[in-house]
Amino acid sequence: MKRFVNLLKKEIKELVTIQLVVSLAFTIMLFNFIGQMSRKEVQKAVGVQTISSLDLDDSASSRAILTGLASARFKIERIEGKTKEQAIDIARGGDSKLLLVIPAGFGDSLKDLKPSQIETYSYMRSFSLIGARGSAIVRGVISALNNVLSDRFIKSRLPDLDPASLKNPIKSKDFVIVHDRMAEASASEIAGMVSSQSMLIPIVLMMIVIYSSQMVISAVAMEKQNKTLETLLTVPIRRTSIITAKMFAAGLVGLISAVVYMFGFKSFMGGIGGDELKAATSQSGAVMRQLGLYFDTTGYLILGASLFLAILVALALAMILGVLAEDFRSAQTMIMPLMFMVMIPYFISLFADINTVPLPVRIFILAIPFTHPFLVSQNLYLGNYGMIIGGLVYMLVVFTVLVVFAARIFSTDKILTMKLRFGKKRTATA
Amino acid sequence: MTNVLTVKGLKKSYGTQMALAGIDFEVRAGEVFALIGPNGAGKTTTLRIIATLLTPSEGDIAFLDHDLRKEPGLVREKISYLPEEAGAYKNMKGLDYLHFMANFYALDSEEEKTFVDRAVAITELGDRLKTKVGTYSKGMTRKILLARALMTKPVLAILDEPTSGLDVINALEVREIVRRYVKEGTSVLLSSHNMLEIEFLSDRVAMIDKGRILDSGTPAELKEKHQAKNLEEVFRSSLR
Repeated sequence: MKRFVNLLKKEIKELVTIQLVVSLAFTIMLFNFIGQMSRKEVQKAVGVQTISSLDLDDSASSRAILTGLASARFKIERIEGKTKEQAIDIARGGDSKLLLVIPAGFGDSLKDLKPSQIETYSYMRSFSLIGARGSAIVRGVISALNNVLSDRFIKSRLPDLDPASLKNPIKSKDFVIVHDRMAEASASEIAGMVSSQSMLIPIVLMMIVIYSSQMVISAVAMEKQNKTLETLLTVPIRRTSIITAKMFAAGLVGLISAVVYMFGFKSFMGGIGGDELKAATSQSGAVMRQLGLYFDTTGYLILGASLFLAILVALALAMILGVLAEDFRSAQTMIMPLMFMVMIPYFISLFADINTVPLPVRIFILAIPFTHPFLVSQNLYLGNYGMIIGGLVYMLVVFTVLVVFAARIFSTDKILTMKLRFGKKRTATA
Repeated sequence: MTNVLTVKGLKKSYGTQMALAGIDFEVRAGEVFALIGPNGAGKTTTLRIIATLLTPSEGDIAFLDHDLRKEPGLVREKISYLPEEAGAYKNMKGLDYLHFMANFYALDSEEEKTFVDRAVAITELGDRLKTKVGTYSKGMTRKILLARALMTKPVLAILDEPTSGLDVINALEVREIVRRYVKEGTSVLLSSHNMLEIEFLSDRVAMIDKGRILDSGTPAELKEKHQAKNLEEVFRSSLR
């Protein structure tokens, strides 16, 4: 145990370099900075925005539109006594992001039940989505006014009818049933909520797997490149302890790195979403709870076990790939197959339902050990415990096989003779 | 004199390529036994097998009363190996590296300190041991690696080209250190291209070529047998 701890300490010290600490600190600061900037932009977008208006009609209807916009937290800068072309130039020189032009005769047209037209001119001073939010709100206000006006017309012509019933004779009320629980929501809303809640799992897994694997591969490759491996293999410590120490250290440092990145990512996402997202999350959380779509302690433990096993599989695989690497540079190439193995199920889980793809494709995807953690949250929600247990057992079997294989490589000549050179024949040297 | 190491019928092949075609030799307690031969003769393969890095294809190797193939873990406790192209962890300070390596062999912290003190004396690097190994010259690195190999006073030190790449002064110092530790009881299995070094250090020598031992004996015996002035002539004579 003393020897193992000695080796473990060395492995951790080798991995935790100044470069790593600086890189992590920089990432947090960068995420935080972007998050803060995004938060300010969101605040600006949801705050009072300036709109220029040219009301050439000056009727009750046109004033109603401008009053509606003012109540939607827009500051209206009225341009008066100018032509449309002049107003466009004036608004261009100011801070307005939008110019609203209400033509003469607008109110009369509405009275005569003729289609009326207003014009909006958006000034694209940046291409950010948040910056373009103003015109969307104007459209919303106009849509609301359309509703009010059409209701008024219907009411004047058909006083006995409810305009809402006339415009929408069929009303739908959506319910979602998950097992024996029911809640009022649409299926697409629930699917969206589940996928947004599960979004972090693949990202966390991808980060940890890629970080940890890179570290293990590099740790083995660096031992080869720095010619320290032969000496290490002749000291009195079990070869399995060497493997375990390298995997444990890489797993630990990879986990810490991933947590740091996730912390930064959360700060970044918090900045983008702001208070509106928090409010929406709180509402959707209630519906999800009503449907039983949340993790209890057992759920979190299963999810944790699945992520942990996936990390172990990645580390064991990385250990074998590290042996094949000749030096640090080739180790960087070796990480590619592992990244593909993580990315394939990640992208498939984003765009397709694994249960509906053709059987050969499904078998291929399920054969990739990293697929199972991506499916765990969905399977937990849907109560597919067979799939969950199958996935856990499968990952455990793959991990055991890989560790036995890695231990065999480390216990034989292959640790020194196995090499994989891209573009050249596989060779064994001594 | 008792044998520390006894090798019989040692063969090693990589696929169809035969690296060792059956060699026999023994290393006695307190002696320096040297393997000399051209590149690819099988010297490093032999040393790597004795150091438990490679497994032999055939043959018996007894280290003290241990079967090297069956008890490599026990053998590693009592040997140390200095590869020809060895390195140390560049991000570690010299002293930390010595502590790290000593920890594997020491029973307690007191013994670890004894090992490290011994290594510090061997390196003669003083305060430079408080700096990172990555900043050392080749000679300094080789010295710290030699110190690592000898600090535990192993029963058998396996040294592959111990003065490889060193200048004359450093090479002389390394040879003197090896000689000193042999006097204190460590046996040495050595490989070198440098016949002068072999003559200075070795008690007995084996000439090896194409995986076979051509001749062996003390330098004096070999010179007399081949009527040669030095080991280089002995070697050339053996190859004929």
